Amino acid sequence: MLLSMIVLIPLIFAVLTLLTRTRAQARALALVSSVAVLLLTIYTYFMFDSTSAATQFEEMYTWVPTLGISYNLGIDGISLPLILLNAIVIPLLILFTWNDEKHAPNRFYSLILITQGAVLGVFCALDFFLFYVFWELTLIPLFFMVSMWGGPKKHYASIKFFIYTHVASLVMLLGIFGLYFAAWSNTGTPSLNIPYLLSQFQFVGSGMTRDLIFLALLFGFIVKLPVFPFHSWLPDAYTEAPTAGSVLFVLLKIGGYGIFKIMLPLLPFTASPNLMITIMGALGAVSVLYGAFLALAQQDMKRMVAYSSLSHMGYVTLGAAGLVSLSVSGAMFQQFSHGLIMSIMFMACGVINNATGTRIMNELGGLAQRMPKLAVIMVLAFMASLGLPGLTGFIAEFSVLSGSFVNLQGYVVIALMAIVITGAYHLWALQRSMFGVYKEKLGNVVDINGYQTFAMGLIAILIVYFGLNPSPVLDMMLTNSEYLVGLMAGMGV
Amino acid sequence: MDLMLFAPEITMVVTGLAVLLIGLFLPVESKKVLGYLASLGILIALYFTVASLGTNALAFYDTLSVDALSQFFKIVFLVVALLFSIAAVKYTEGSKNTEEFYVLAIFATIGMMFVASANDLMVLFVAFELASISTYALSGFEKNNAQSLEASIKYFLIGSLSAALMLFGITFLYGVTGTTSIPGIAAGAAALAASPIGILAVVLLIAGFGFKIALVPFHMWAPDTYQGSPSLVSSLLAAGSKKMGIVAAFKVFIVALIALKVEWQIAFAILAVITMTVGNAAALSQTSVKRMLAYSSLAQAGYITMAFVVLTPMALGGGILYALSHGFMKAGAFIVTAAVVYMVLSENKDAQNPDHIDNFRGLGRRMPITALSMTVFVFALAGIPLTAGYMSKFVLFSSTIQAGFAWLAVIAILNSALSLYYYAKIVKYMYFLPTEGKKVSEPLPYTLALVVAVAGVLAIGFWPEPFIYWAMEAAKVLLAGGM
Repeated sequence: MLLSMIVLIPLIFAVLTLLTRTRAQARALALVSSVAVLLLTIYTYFMFDSTSAATQFEEMYTWVPTLGISYNLGIDGISLPLILLNAIVIPLLILFTWNDEKHAPNRFYSLILITQGAVLGVFCALDFFLFYVFWELTLIPLFFMVSMWGGPKKHYASIKFFIYTHVASLVMLLGIFGLYFAAWSNTGTPSLNIPYLLSQFQFVGSGMTRDLIFLALLFGFIVKLPVFPFHSWLPDAYTEAPTAGSVLFVLLKIGGYGIFKIMLPLLPFTASPNLMITIMGALGAVSVLYGAFLALAQQDMKRMVAYSSLSHMGYVTLGAAGLVSLSVSGAMFQQFSHGLIMSIMFMACGVINNATGTRIMNELGGLAQRMPKLAVIMVLAFMASLGLPGLTGFIAEFSVLSGSFVNLQGYVVIALMAIVITGAYHLWALQRSMFGVYKEKLGNVVDINGYQTFAMGLIAILIVYFGLNPSPVLDMMLTNSEYLVGLMAGMGV
Repeated sequence: MDLMLFAPEITMVVTGLAVLLIGLFLPVESKKVLGYLASLGILIALYFTVASLGTNALAFYDTLSVDALSQFFKIVFLVVALLFSIAAVKYTEGSKNTEEFYVLAIFATIGMMFVASANDLMVLFVAFELASISTYALSGFEKNNAQSLEASIKYFLIGSLSAALMLFGITFLYGVTGTTSIPGIAAGAAALAASPIGILAVVLLIAGFGFKIALVPFHMWAPDTYQGSPSLVSSLLAAGSKKMGIVAAFKVFIVALIALKVEWQIAFAILAVITMTVGNAAALSQTSVKRMLAYSSLAQAGYITMAFVVLTPMALGGGILYALSHGFMKAGAFIVTAAVVYMVLSENKDAQNPDHIDNFRGLGRRMPITALSMTVFVFALAGIPLTAGYMSKFVLFSSTIQAGFAWLAVIAILNSALSLYYYAKIVKYMYFLPTEGKKVSEPLPYTLALVVAVAGVLAIGFWPEPFIYWAMEAAKVLLAGGM
């Protein structure tokens, strides 16, 4: 029941929140729900056995037996850190928006909760049908989030995001169908159980079919992640979304999750695993470099952060393709770390935009003098993002790069070049916006309020904490990575 | 023979006659009662039909059969009729022809129900015509509205032509096999397959049914008729009458003419692809919501036609389930348009094009329940999970892949993605575009019909097991008859 509660509480509270009349009621209900999820997640975390790669806390009820669909939840070391990330950041996000003057607050908070429930559902689902339902459910609240509270190009951005990722999901669905029916015709019983179908993949008839299934699933995941060249929805959606929406996008780690949970166990059984590794490694490495260059060229701070996100997501595919437990666990840790860091960065962009009315970095300047609290937190997040040792970003990127070097030297060299650029655009952005002479035409700018300080500060503390002591989440990631890598080694990949 | 087998039909006939007679003696202001009476009758018929699921029997010298297939489709027709008659309480308010509106709809439904039960081509044809003639009259119901009359005439002319083609096809079948009984034709299929007349009959029948189902290129009448007819009648046409064409085609092709499978399978494959693509592509640029829904209805018929190509129990089950889901979704969407048209006309009696998409601006604020229902319907039509539309597409498309028609599934899925664009456009108009209009009190009958339709869409989405089970049983009837 534990996992069902974690998934269903936000969805139920979303309906309740929608029925509220005032902002105070809406935000209070949302906070209650998210704190309840956080407490349950922490409890789950302490009950979790991080030395085992097996599925834990499994729940199972039949749903549509004719088609082999069941309501089946369970978590492992791949999903729990991401659930934890989501459960930690959402209540802080609600606190961050505590004093926002948004219209229709009931819908606003309700959408946040639906997104949370759907994302947690994806992480917990052990049935492909359920997985797909939650996967698609993430689209609808984010679509409304962008198109109701977004920036000037919100309609374009929201429709583009919706259709782009929906098409990718449909391709992924084709892959799921392929897997489902191949297993069905082999064994004679229909089932959409994820672990079962993953284990049946190797018995699928021709190598060509296996490759097509693999690529269809991979396409669904890397568009959501996203990586170059399927990223063009990202800058628009991330930039046009309201701050809370951008943070929700950042917490939408379902694409990377799919790569670890579904793609890696399938990889050794494809007809041409080396080709698949090349595809993933190359896309990852190019994304790292390409995202960094684009970030360097941006004037709009939020757009810069969005492209930096693309660059960082490249490490996830690169590390996953690295196929040693260090790189795979590093890539998993990158998802966790990136979620924390980017949350602060988008919150900072939102605060600056609200305070000064612009995000164009050349029009900003010297904000640190008027916003000292924001400056401290922001500098820390930027340092973590560019990979300063002692913070989470360093651990993730170092593990990915050093781990992947064993198998993928060429790609790592490409990604290494990006490190310099990454440093450059982060520092340059800070210099242009926060330091230097204060531009008087920005008016009387006030610092972040108490709620915002608390929310951003707590995430900043977590970045430092996990940067110094990553083992609370890294241990379980390592356990699972070793299991996945063992699977590959068993197949001689 | 057990007359109780036809309790649903008998109930409907009694209801229809009662409505007609009582209507004669009622003053205009109390004709509302007729709507309640009709809805009650349909509900009772629906109860009898659901209760008889699982019976298998032949009646009237084997010309009618009661089985899972017939009962499932009767449920589809009765559900559409129920939504129609609830909503019509508002539409017919103040009209002195109320009873005619209901009686025509009830008789159309009875015709559809007999088509579902038909086991003989003559019965099938007569029932088909009963339903068609009733709907010709219905689509011209607004006698002072030129658009409505044009719709009716167009529908009538093309409908008659298609009936003639169908009848031609049937005569050829009769000429070769010497019988009009569907199992009899199946038994004599060897003779049909050997003679060129068999092919000719197949072509004529495809054209005849193609008109009714509105498959491209036999679809020309559909957008005009759906747009011009009163919205409620369009809901009956798109959600009910179209399904009648599908069930009749199921019986004629899959049961009677299975021996000529090779000939018609490829034709249906081409028709399915063209229909869904043309339907979706044309829907993209429409500004009349009714016309958009008409084209979307073409696309949906294209998806259902895939079942003729794949021909596995699961695919047919998926197609049959799709018919039920589409009944809820499309009838619901047209009822929303009816509510909007009512709103526009009550503000300005001479408004032109009351179903123009601009009238959907800000509907989320003006008519919250109507707008929310529309959101559910269009997302369901687009195939978003946890709705009836997704469940049906899941079964149908996945069975297409299972049977090895991956290319067809890919085209269907791409089409489905394309359709999201124009469905999302409606949601955008309802929730994101500003409007000067004020909040409107939503008429209760429309709201009630919408709530029922939403409940149906979500019930199939969340708890599909019983629906899938009965759809598969219905599919087994089809395949058992043909083997």
